[in-house]
Amino acid sequence: MTNAKPETLKYVPTTCPYCGVGCGLNLIVKDGKAVGVAPWQRSPINEGKLCPKGMTCWEFIHSPDRLTKPLIKKNGKFEEASWDEALDLVATKFKEISDKNGPKSIGFQVSCRTPNEECYIMQKLARVGFKTNNVDNCARICHGPSVAGLSLSFGSGAATNPFEDVLNSDFILVWGSNAVEAHPLAGRRIAQAKLKGIPIMVVDPRYSPTARLADTWIRFNPSTHIALINSMMYWIIKENLHDKEFIEKRTKGFEDLKKTVENYADVEKITGVPVETVKDMARKYAAAKNGVIIYCLGITELTTGTDNVRSLGNLSMLCGNIGRPGVGVNPLRGQNNVQGACDMGAYPNVYSGYQKCELPEMRKKMEEAWGMPAGSLPEWYGSTLTEQISQCGDPIKAMYIFALNPAVSYPDSNHVKRSLDKLDFLVVQDIFFTETCEYADVVLPGASFAEKDGTFTSGERRINRVRKAVNPPGEAKEDWEIFVLLAKKLGLKGFDFKSPQQIWDDMRSVTPSMFGATNARIDIPGSVHWPCPTVEHPGTPILHKEKFASPDGLGTFFGIEYRPPAEVADAEYPFTLMTGRLIFHYHTRTQTDRAKVLHYEVPENFVQINTDDAKRLGIKEGDHIKVRSRRGETTPLARVTDEVAPGVLYMAMHFPNGANNLTNTALDPMSKMPELKHCAVAVEKIAEAK
Amino acid sequence: MSKKGDMYYAWTTDADLAKKAECGGAVSGLLKYALEKKIVDGVFAVTRGQDLYDAVPVIITDPKDIDKTAGSLHCGTLLLSKLVKKYLDGAGTQKIAMTVKGCDMMGLYELAKRQQVNLDNIIMIGVNCGGTVSPVTARKMIAEKFGVDPDTVHKEEIDKGQFIIEYEGGHKGISIDELEEQGYGRRSNCRRCKLKVTRQADLACGNWGVIGDKAGKATFVEVCSTKGADLLDRAVKDGRIKTEAPNPKGLEIRAKVENAMYKLSDKWRKKDFEGLGEGRERLKKIVKETSRCIKCYACIENCPICYCVECSTKKPYLVKPGEVPPNFMFHLIRFAHIADSCINCGQCQELCAMDIPNALFMHAQQVELEKMFGHVPGVDMSLPLLALVEEREERDRLAATGSDQIFDIFK
Repeated sequence: MTNAKPETLKYVPTTCPYCGVGCGLNLIVKDGKAVGVAPWQRSPINEGKLCPKGMTCWEFIHSPDRLTKPLIKKNGKFEEASWDEALDLVATKFKEISDKNGPKSIGFQVSCRTPNEECYIMQKLARVGFKTNNVDNCARICHGPSVAGLSLSFGSGAATNPFEDVLNSDFILVWGSNAVEAHPLAGRRIAQAKLKGIPIMVVDPRYSPTARLADTWIRFNPSTHIALINSMMYWIIKENLHDKEFIEKRTKGFEDLKKTVENYADVEKITGVPVETVKDMARKYAAAKNGVIIYCLGITELTTGTDNVRSLGNLSMLCGNIGRPGVGVNPLRGQNNVQGACDMGAYPNVYSGYQKCELPEMRKKMEEAWGMPAGSLPEWYGSTLTEQISQCGDPIKAMYIFALNPAVSYPDSNHVKRSLDKLDFLVVQDIFFTETCEYADVVLPGASFAEKDGTFTSGERRINRVRKAVNPPGEAKEDWEIFVLLAKKLGLKGFDFKSPQQIWDDMRSVTPSMFGATNARIDIPGSVHWPCPTVEHPGTPILHKEKFASPDGLGTFFGIEYRPPAEVADAEYPFTLMTGRLIFHYHTRTQTDRAKVLHYEVPENFVQINTDDAKRLGIKEGDHIKVRSRRGETTPLARVTDEVAPGVLYMAMHFPNGANNLTNTALDPMSKMPELKHCAVAVEKIAEAK
Repeated sequence: MSKKGDMYYAWTTDADLAKKAECGGAVSGLLKYALEKKIVDGVFAVTRGQDLYDAVPVIITDPKDIDKTAGSLHCGTLLLSKLVKKYLDGAGTQKIAMTVKGCDMMGLYELAKRQQVNLDNIIMIGVNCGGTVSPVTARKMIAEKFGVDPDTVHKEEIDKGQFIIEYEGGHKGISIDELEEQGYGRRSNCRRCKLKVTRQADLACGNWGVIGDKAGKATFVEVCSTKGADLLDRAVKDGRIKTEAPNPKGLEIRAKVENAMYKLSDKWRKKDFEGLGEGRERLKKIVKETSRCIKCYACIENCPICYCVECSTKKPYLVKPGEVPPNFMFHLIRFAHIADSCINCGQCQELCAMDIPNALFMHAQQVELEKMFGHVPGVDMSLPLLALVEEREERDRLAATGSDQIFDIFK
């Protein structure tokens, strides 16, 4: 006989809050607290396997540092406030400022780590409540050029094929992607392909953990993608290896491309890659029956981002590698819901499902659906994420930042901080008191991924369920609910949602490409891939099968000339700085640094520097060194390695007063992507290793 | 009074439960009885999650809920033992009854040796296990080899060397041998496993050897401990479980099935271990395969042998932090600490983010060590080759010497 209190133990299947692969996992809940992560073997995406971040994603949930009460800044100091008081203030201030200065005086910024339902409701609030298109999400600073570029080339801005589909390929070309670290369980698919004997070519200036997997690793000069791709295409055409039937039947613009690449026979001076190597790359890709291209931020985070993406589009169409298993052009989306945030219309020129604001019929449809007077929705292209930062003070007076940390993650941190200071009113809604909260007038405590229901759409357009496991801490609220309450304070109609599922249905009703993805269908393991236009539709794992998603059904070639980055190394700043991700951290580390083992692995910023450069400058492994750019400086630890070439440095994006003290705000003209991956810096030694 | 070694055909007298359970529902009946009589505070077992392919651990405290754990789930590749340590306080304060497969049971013994679980508080009701199939593999296999939509399947079983499914509109079985030759079928560790009948649990239950009019209506129960005998006797005395002597022919058949399974395991061991090569060749293979490691620590987190608070893989002078792939020392530490006690549960392989055949490497070493030193892990409380120490005490002792290295390899 025994009288011990029985334990409770609950497994809650949900989706990892980190990268865009969308791994399934179980949160283990014991006595109302998340106490661990258990593998979810049933998930077809990751089969129970997780990366170091996924394994530890429960650890920050009950951190004592969580925000638990609304805060209002009074006389320069934050004081705890009631929800009523805080939301009254937010509603009053936003209304006052927008009434006085118009819809371009306010800005809304949505994080790609938040569920679809919250991205949708926030953009709806911006558009219905303030008639503004000044709403954007942080895809702008990761895969904005993919959305822009792939839309122009193929008619849809999303990845064409699922992650697992690389196993159907005959040749895998990984370009500017360190999948093993940045998208580990997509990286696993590449490793599986290798075990299957599928050849892998990795094109990266750095010998990354992904490059280690490759059969062929191509080192080239940073940011010279267009020249290299054009040269590959020159040789494919020259050697008559292109897919004439595909080009004839399914594309347009080939002559334009052909003419442009004529000048790219030898690009060694630009790219550092010898002609014979380029020929080999060209032949290998063109010879594959099914060749797939996987790329990431190495391609996009440049002032030529959109053109880089279109160049990959050109290459794939040239060899007919679109629209069937084992082929395609696949951007690996960075954050858990970066695909979804764009899909939901948290974007300055489109509503959910990429329905364009500039089209009168779209505005009319949304006005009717949202119960707004005819002609009230704006047609203008709203300000993008970093444009909004530059517009702080004029014309933007008030800003609402939802789960973003611009003071660390946007380029040129000093510029960001100066800009935020110019605002009349800033609201930050987050789960921790981030570096950005310092600049806020009101801080609202939201909920983590474990504390709310909803969906994340992964990089393969799969709509994965997020399930509530525990309650938010203290008085913190589920974020969708905060927007519902705020809408009520603003007197808005169409926001009386009782659950995220109702918000999802509201979105579905205005979004043809997702109408068939009902709550019931996305509640099962594996869910569906959009487009899914009807409830009977099976979903679309592979895009552009019969025809492209463009209005005329054709893919478009573009003749694109190589352009150098906005800021290149010179006598004063002789090094090229590249940035990227580490496997052990996620973005600004607000979540991952609170996991014990992740903090142990990488507690401090470091920079990779080539062995010869280090020797020349007297820098040893573990020294603190100073890295300066025209915009700021930082003092990381040195990691001396041959993984980067002489003259090139590599630093992760994760640390405050780190990489983004140095980065350049110059924009890609087409997608407004800042040049996060390339700037000129100088290096000096400051202290000996301990 | 039953005693160790006694064998029965047994079934529950609870008609509702028998309907929901398999083979007469003896296991469910015993668990329910143990809860009702407060012999245990809770039952720790596996229930169906989102569908037939999703096995989820659950603690049942209300006897009425026992039927949720009835029936088998061959896609349940979970290891329950480590969960007892991590989330149930090692059964330190409360008594639990568990249904255990061979690996669950072996894991509990290894954790008990290391004082991480209290076996006195656990009743282990063992079930025969011919192996498990990972859910994603199972679905692929059903779609590709059986030509059946996996969502229409409502029952699966492994019987007489076949993987059998029942689905809307029929049933179909294919030989496991055939499936496995083509890369489907059971997890590779399961193929090599030779603990098919859990005789080191308190009761060993299963359907092997139940023939005649009781076929499908009773469970074969072998009494393996006085704890097991006590539970069974009480349940029988209270009229909750009925038993009869097993058919002698059934005994023969049970032994035959078991032997056939051993032979199959031997075949896979030979194939897998020979495939690894020997000596330097084997080492090279291990170095190459482990060079994909992304340091997710799943192998350590899920290993039933790993229990240290301070893990050597997190000593910066042994494995440099922040590097992917980690130095080979990461894997050598695991081999050194675990190989003598590896129970081949397969978690380190199934959950490896980069599909490194970790379980194969560790199992291959364990088998060699067993040949050399005769130590068999997972079947009793005998201590492994590397004498166990109380971690904290040993660390303090070493710290007093100015080093935490038993042998200073850096000298």
